[in-house]
Amino acid sequence: MDPPGSSPIHLSSEAGADVLYLQGSWRLDHAPAIAAAVAALPLRPGRTCMLDGSRLQELDTTTGFVLFHHLDELGFAANAIATRRMDEHHARLLSLVHERMRCAPVPAPLSSPSAVQRVGRATLRMVRDLAAHNGFVGQTALELLALLKRPQLFRLREMVAQFENATIDAIPIVALVTFLIGVVFAYLLGVQAQRYGATIFVVDGVGLAVCRELSPILVAVIVAGRSGAAFTAQIGSMKVQEEIDAISTLGLSPIQVLVIPRLVALAAGLPMLVFVGDLAGIAGGMLISTAQLGISIPSFVNRLHGTLDLSAVVIGLAKAPVFAVFIAMIACRMGMSVSRDARSVGDHTTSTVVQSIVWVIVLDAVFAIVLQILDV
Amino acid sequence: MNAVLRFDSIVTRFGRNLVHDGVTFTIERGEVAALIGGSGTGKSVLLKEAIGLLRPTAGRVELLGQDVGSADEAQLNMLRRRFGMLFQDGALFSSLSVAENIAVPFREHTHTPESLIAPLVGFKLSLVGLAPEVGDRMPAQLSGGMRKRVALARALALEPEILFLDEPTSGLDPIGARAFDRLIRTLADSLGLTVLLVTHDLDTLLSIIDRAIALADGKVIADGPVAAVAASDNPWLKDYFAARAPQGARDGT
Repeated sequence: MDPPGSSPIHLSSEAGADVLYLQGSWRLDHAPAIAAAVAALPLRPGRTCMLDGSRLQELDTTTGFVLFHHLDELGFAANAIATRRMDEHHARLLSLVHERMRCAPVPAPLSSPSAVQRVGRATLRMVRDLAAHNGFVGQTALELLALLKRPQLFRLREMVAQFENATIDAIPIVALVTFLIGVVFAYLLGVQAQRYGATIFVVDGVGLAVCRELSPILVAVIVAGRSGAAFTAQIGSMKVQEEIDAISTLGLSPIQVLVIPRLVALAAGLPMLVFVGDLAGIAGGMLISTAQLGISIPSFVNRLHGTLDLSAVVIGLAKAPVFAVFIAMIACRMGMSVSRDARSVGDHTTSTVVQSIVWVIVLDAVFAIVLQILDV
Repeated sequence: MNAVLRFDSIVTRFGRNLVHDGVTFTIERGEVAALIGGSGTGKSVLLKEAIGLLRPTAGRVELLGQDVGSADEAQLNMLRRRFGMLFQDGALFSSLSVAENIAVPFREHTHTPESLIAPLVGFKLSLVGLAPEVGDRMPAQLSGGMRKRVALARALALEPEILFLDEPTSGLDPIGARAFDRLIRTLADSLGLTVLLVTHDLDTLLSIIDRAIALADGKVIADGPVAAVAASDNPWLKDYFAARAPQGARDGT
């Protein structure tokens, strides 16, 4: 501890030189006080600066650096600083500090980019991502073609495992969410239709909306969050552990081993989940129709049979594999491009979910416009 | 001489596996000592017991005059500021840049003004032989040797009195490993550090270590200057040092 009332440094002028008596304990804990005391000294560069260690009890690198840093900033040349009556250990420490700080220019403070720069960088990153996605899709397509020539290389076991994870395990959550959406949709529609005594049209509305739009979109969003994130995290951690390199080294193609089974599993599984969603959504609508609107179950089913176009159901199911391919390709590509640290896995997983959901919605809009033009 | 670290009849048991069966030794201030021994002899475990990450089944660890086993969280925190630990892979925080990694102990444990932290970080980097520009990089962009140096700078940030190193040269190429050895020795001499390290690296042992402590079968089987330990009759030690017999005498201490 500092002796009470005494400053850590004392300046006196002796024989044409400034003598600095370092006093007491020069430890990291006192660094702010020492920095302040040193800064307050009336030092003149150009004169020799003598450091006297006779009153010094303890010294460490931080406080030594604080002193030299200040002298350096004032413009003292290295050879204008000398030491005397230093303990051997303190002298060695000071000379190490002095020698090492010579080659230590202050690192430039990290400037945070302006809003314009951030937007620019994000845009460039998006363009680069898109280009890389394209490259990855091309690579995967080539590997798929190679697989057609030698189908015995297809990893059936891996595909089945992924299918189980992505599809079978997702049935409860998909059924729950679409059921609730069916309930909400039928309820809101019913409130409006009741005013005109047109409650039976609720059946038309629920059937069409659930099968053609709601179920595909919701299921794709759930799968993007569940399986897309899982794919990126799995492949990303394998990348971190250098497992991907190990696969290549064993003469296998990482795309055939990891990507294609996931792609096929998702493309096969998503339509099935959409079908489950269709059933659950209609069941939700039926519940409200019976309970709230007085439509009996047989008349609900009859009406549905009469008005729900098969084409609406098929369109809904047909969108699913397209969504699946986009989600799987984005997820696997983001997993493959993880860099070797823990944070990157998290970043890429988040990015997968965001990109997948955006693409699902963009694709759905494209479907709506194209089908409109085709008049389906 | 005063003891900074004292192990007193340490017994460690993991389930049925008896790791230490009465390990006793003392490290004096200013010593650069190495723990050696085959795989599974509990070298790293002993290191973790010294810094309070693990508790021995029986026995007493005294670090800088404080009984680690009976210390409460506040006392342990006081103690933690007085030693530095270098983990095997550096254990840098991957979400922070190199400069931020080194600044963490200053920001958390001291009242160092922000205006001083940036130059201090630059100085600490130069102290471990890195260019200050490295500060802007992320840990993932560093080579293995650089990661270790950054981790050493972080471990040295709070001016510890004792430094623990877990396999400091593992994963480094021989040239990088020798440079890291020299760095540790230079810093230990200049800063008056006490160093206890775990190593498999004979070159480290023969070049920078004052004293070797060999563990086998849960006990200390040899303890003393490296040359004396190398001359031991113990079969494991004989094999270990024989691996280097042709040039062993080259730079033995």
